[in-house]
Amino acid sequence: MSETLLLISSLSEDQVFAKAVGAEAKLPVQTVTSAAQGAEFINKHEPSVIFVDASNEQLYLQFEEAIQNSVGIFSDKINANAIHFLSSENLDKVRYLIQSPLFGHFVLRNYGDPASAGEHYGRLVRATRAERAFGLKTLLRPDAKVQIVKLQSTGQKQDAVEAVKNYFVAAKFQPRMAVMIANAVDELLMNAMFDAPVDEIGKPLYSSAPRSAVFDLKDRQAIEMHVGYDGKYAAVTAVDLFGSLDKVKLLSHISKIYTDEEYKVRTTVAGAGLGLATVFRSGGSFFFVSESNVRTEVTVFFRRADNYREFREQFRFLSTQYYF
Amino acid sequence: MLNVIKEQKDAALLVRLVGSIEEGVQFEQLLGNVPAELIVNCKEVPRINSVGVKAWIRYFQSLQTKGVRLRFVECSSAIIEQVNLISNFVPADSVESFFVPFACTKCKSELLGLYSSAAIKKLQGNVPAQTCPKCGGSAEFDDIPEEYFGFLTR
Repeated sequence: MSETLLLISSLSEDQVFAKAVGAEAKLPVQTVTSAAQGAEFINKHEPSVIFVDASNEQLYLQFEEAIQNSVGIFSDKINANAIHFLSSENLDKVRYLIQSPLFGHFVLRNYGDPASAGEHYGRLVRATRAERAFGLKTLLRPDAKVQIVKLQSTGQKQDAVEAVKNYFVAAKFQPRMAVMIANAVDELLMNAMFDAPVDEIGKPLYSSAPRSAVFDLKDRQAIEMHVGYDGKYAAVTAVDLFGSLDKVKLLSHISKIYTDEEYKVRTTVAGAGLGLATVFRSGGSFFFVSESNVRTEVTVFFRRADNYREFREQFRFLSTQYYF
Repeated sequence: MLNVIKEQKDAALLVRLVGSIEEGVQFEQLLGNVPAELIVNCKEVPRINSVGVKAWIRYFQSLQTKGVRLRFVECSSAIIEQVNLISNFVPADSVESFFVPFACTKCKSELLGLYSSAAIKKLQGNVPAQTCPKCGGSAEFDDIPEEYFGFLTR
């Protein structure tokens, strides 16, 4: 494997973005403009990170076909953890990516400043190059302050959410932005408390338990919340010790929108299945890292902005990193 | 935690929702018997999480099924965000008025203006800038118009 970032795109903004990512992740960037050239490079050099312009289905299918015809989709040379799709369309418009066996990361091309976005995303890419991409500290600037909160009971969730909101208000986030971050944390903690716990055969333990149920979080059910801010980005991680995050379900939930079709209330499960999608559509970025049966860390990022409109339109991504 | 303040307004029941709407919310218990018309004031709802959204839809859909006329007034930004994200969060044309966020370009203060849905429709989403009461600067609409006012064109 070569320590290279391969960019398959002819767009200049992608090139600026990839260059900044490469600089932060300490990876030289190799750029090609067609899927066929990209597949050839992958076959010969096995780059450690691949960025692909997948703005439309045709571009994506060209990439998939080129991979299929060169190394094969299930080859050891291809690992979804290393593939980053770049798109100008939001997640709900690119279902072909969500359904792709190659899906690892999705980057919405609303870079704003591509170099600045690349610096931020480069820290994530650098983390994915480590043996395990766990830990919030590496995802923020080196001078970031990270606080760790251990939750002892599900009943502490609302206090934790409120504390996060107050922390970011004190850090000069507009109250409306702080509420948005608090909402994201609420969803992450609720998922870690009620959706992550599974039994030995992987059956969810609390799928039908009311989300207001109060019980102790001890031993394997212990939950941690890590809160970080580096002066530019706010980030909060929820940590659980089950490593049960299902990628297909996750992507299905997060890309679902209810602006055209109606939301149907399911009474068989206590969760709503709305939280992550709402956060992503509201400007948050996600990094999901899960080691099967060991640990899951879900981090949400928000960049501080001078006004809410800028906050909503910020650069965003959805990244997944799975270890089996 | 959500609290409800009730007031009889002619034949209708006016309820003022105060607080965040979260997993423990029990709308049936909080609102009790509802007459044929229910006016819901959402001015003081700062936050609603996904389980709160589910409880909300379930409760208000059940009222609709019973033929209750629903009117939502003074909706906070948190409620309007959900109205825009979920097509059946409230019945069509039931939001009568809502708060519109502004940000002062000079002192960066966050401000809220109350508008009727009819007025915003008339303005076609082009909300004029306001004068910031704190510094006299220009306060501009602070969200994405196509999204914040999206529910009015559905």
